[in-house]
Amino acid sequence: MNGLKTDEDGDATGTIECGVEAAKHFAFAPGWRNLNHGSFGTYPLSIRKVLRKHQDDVEAQPDTWIRYTYPRLLTTARQAVSQYLHAPLETVVFIPNASTGINVVLRNLVFAEGEVILYAPTTYGAVEKTIDFIVETTPAQSEKVAYTLPASDEVIVAAFEKAILALRKTGKVARLAVFDTISSLPGRRLPFEKLTKLCREYKVLSCIDGAHGIGHIPLDLTELDPDFFFSNAHKWLYTPRPCAVLYVPERTQSLMRSTLPTSHGFVPRGKGEARSPLPPRTNGDSEFVHKFEFVASVDNSPYLCFAPALEWRSRITFDRLRGEEAVFAYCQQQAREAGKVVAEKLGTGILGDAVDLANLCNFANVRLPLSFRDDAGGDEGTAIKMAQWMSEALVEKHSTFMAFVFYDEAWWVRLSAQVYLTMGDFAWGAERLKEVCALAKRGDWKSG
Amino acid sequence: MVLKRTESSTVGDAGGETMESIECGAEVAKEFAFRDGYRNLNHGSFGTYPTAIRSVLRHYQDEAEAKPDKFIRYDYPKLLDESREAVANYLNAPVSTCVFIPNATTGLNTVLRNMVYEPGDVIIYFATIYGACEKTVDYITETTPAESRKIEYSYPVSDQFLCDAFEEAVTAIKAAGKVPKLAIFDTIASLPGVRMPFEALTALCHKHNVLSCIDGAHGIGHIPLDLTALDPDFFFSNCHKWLHVPRGCAVFYVPERNQGLLRSTLPTSHGFVPLPKGEGGFVNNPLPPSGKSAYITNFEFVGTIDNSPYLCIPAALEWRSKLTWKGMKGEEAVMAYTHQLSREAGKTVASVLGTEVMENEEGTLGNCNLSNVRLPLSFGDIADDDHRKAVKVAQWIAKTLVEEYNTFIAIIFYGGAWWVRLSSQVYLTAEDFEWGAGVLKELCARVSTGEWMR
Repeated sequence: MNGLKTDEDGDATGTIECGVEAAKHFAFAPGWRNLNHGSFGTYPLSIRKVLRKHQDDVEAQPDTWIRYTYPRLLTTARQAVSQYLHAPLETVVFIPNASTGINVVLRNLVFAEGEVILYAPTTYGAVEKTIDFIVETTPAQSEKVAYTLPASDEVIVAAFEKAILALRKTGKVARLAVFDTISSLPGRRLPFEKLTKLCREYKVLSCIDGAHGIGHIPLDLTELDPDFFFSNAHKWLYTPRPCAVLYVPERTQSLMRSTLPTSHGFVPRGKGEARSPLPPRTNGDSEFVHKFEFVASVDNSPYLCFAPALEWRSRITFDRLRGEEAVFAYCQQQAREAGKVVAEKLGTGILGDAVDLANLCNFANVRLPLSFRDDAGGDEGTAIKMAQWMSEALVEKHSTFMAFVFYDEAWWVRLSAQVYLTMGDFAWGAERLKEVCALAKRGDWKSG
Repeated sequence: MVLKRTESSTVGDAGGETMESIECGAEVAKEFAFRDGYRNLNHGSFGTYPTAIRSVLRHYQDEAEAKPDKFIRYDYPKLLDESREAVANYLNAPVSTCVFIPNATTGLNTVLRNMVYEPGDVIIYFATIYGACEKTVDYITETTPAESRKIEYSYPVSDQFLCDAFEEAVTAIKAAGKVPKLAIFDTIASLPGVRMPFEALTALCHKHNVLSCIDGAHGIGHIPLDLTALDPDFFFSNCHKWLHVPRGCAVFYVPERNQGLLRSTLPTSHGFVPLPKGEGGFVNNPLPPSGKSAYITNFEFVGTIDNSPYLCIPAALEWRSKLTWKGMKGEEAVMAYTHQLSREAGKTVASVLGTEVMENEEGTLGNCNLSNVRLPLSFGDIADDDHRKAVKVAQWIAKTLVEEYNTFIAIIFYGGAWWVRLSSQVYLTAEDFEWGAGVLKELCARVSTGEWMR
């Protein structure tokens, strides 16, 4: 590590300008360019300090901390979430990740014959797998809404509405719709506010996969008013993994009988609360909140980094902007420019002919200069193999990683903008992409 | 030749190999990060790990932040396989049967939530099942056709009693035209902390064609285990309890014959293989291909978490191999030391309190690191025979231990009396339990004056 790392022991109150200065606050290996923040996120050194302090406190006095101290700290953390997302305190709990979120929702719902789960076509793989599991093991059916990117917000909303109505005609009912705030691969901001309204109108439960949400775009859950919402704080808020929020308004909490896994807080019907080895429920927590307080033994310290992460972000500056505003503005602008620059260098284009200013987020999807027919023989399996080879080549040869997706008969790279990156990083990334695409075109992937 | 550990580094012997040994008791205690004289008399609930393992944990966590995608997608799977191999060797199980999950509760949930139940299927379990596990069974009986049957009894009972009770339950279920589908039992029950005759119960499950689902939460690193000899249908054990691995890390053993029953991890993730769908559409899996069986691949990535604890298995085993006691070394030393300390602790505390250790005639309940001692308090006098009051007393004692005595001891109200469960450990000595006995005596006196009510 070079000696320029700051914040572990240094100034913890000064402002931090986006770009090169912010980069000093992170613990990347020298030479590593983190161009795929979107998959796993990361966190600054000062947050690592907070994390480790909590972890040390646990081992210093395990039972004391886990049974008595942690519940208090958790409530404070939840208060920070409640404020940040503008959601009532009783509606927000922590869970490890969005995958757990979708599983909590879908596995708790009781589906009847004729009930259908609608979902967006760019639904995250593990979420679609979960829907598949539910369809296999319950009476529920599923239906993927039809549209292909690039598509305007109007087209997307219309597609959902069309799907809801079509189901009605066949005597079925859309019980629940699953859609993203921002889809993963390709990364595109969805018109999730309009989709939520649409669901409300048609009495379809709205289940928003906000994996890419907290810290990525402004969110107001009171205004949005979804039936279910979950988001990974460890993706874009700079908390350690795992740390996600599950929001369930009180009207749908009764549908969520069990945590995942089921643990001490579950209240069986007709049995009353069986003995629990943990201290009694204090501070007036509801049954919903209480059951998510302790869900089997794991390291919950990341949850307690939510407020410190907000505090760190409040120090970020960009031009004359500060805090959340600065983070959003810098990243959105960078995503827009990075998409342009990389597309120019590759001689291709971005997904969506023009940048949709209304749907800015931190992603840009750029097409790779490869031909499905010529380079992959028109075979999807081959195309995926090539993408996997290119990913690995980047990691092995070039000290970076970029997310590829094969979509609509083309390969796309999904760039993630970040406060610790500069345009120079993306210009460099574009050159690496050119190189690795050339190797792929040459057929190097065949031997690997 | 056994070399003493120096402050800063290990000392090499004449053969050039670094050797190090740490004597159980006060010397091992230096390896841990307890603060301000905290006496950890309840290792059994959450475990803990030495600072040497903390370094390993943080090393992997730093690697993950140094190059996130590289580490998580490419390096981690290889490291995970190393851990799986180490734990498989340790348990004498094929590597293909071992995966990691965060904790035992997830293990039970994975088993029960994957099973497909027909009306008439019965899940059998024992009275001392861990609370969260019973809740899971309740959830399953609420949401599936499965029923449950609880074998009721109050300790102390003999191993034979439990085996007989189990066979009676199986027989009764069959006589009622139902199917004893699966039985859940512990290696070592939690509260009270007593060893169960799990080997005999597993054999009975084989005999009666009942799936054996062993909650070995208290298992690995606590008592010797040979999963090939035991041959259960499902087995899970918390490495973070007794193997000196950080939370959350548990090993999940499923013999190949049963892996097909577990279609999905919990939560369902990328590795789930759906039944063939109509149009043959593929679901995008952003992870690199693993080249391993579908079952193993399924458990490799189950939602984004911090997987570093899983990677600490080899280091934890290596650290334990250095521990010594009375000329023994490694696992032998660890288990011999903690088993005998547990027996001694029970005797000491019972003697000071003037009560007794929970034990059956054969003396098998205490063949582990846990001993349960009754508190000298009368249910009638102290709590007016009111169970809810009794629980309040227990909660007061627990809280006071934490707030005033800088320790914690697990306490339950069971069988009409209050019992403390003592956990022995390599970092504890007899003196710790003498001290604990004194504290408990004092606390009981305070309870008797009614302090807990205020």
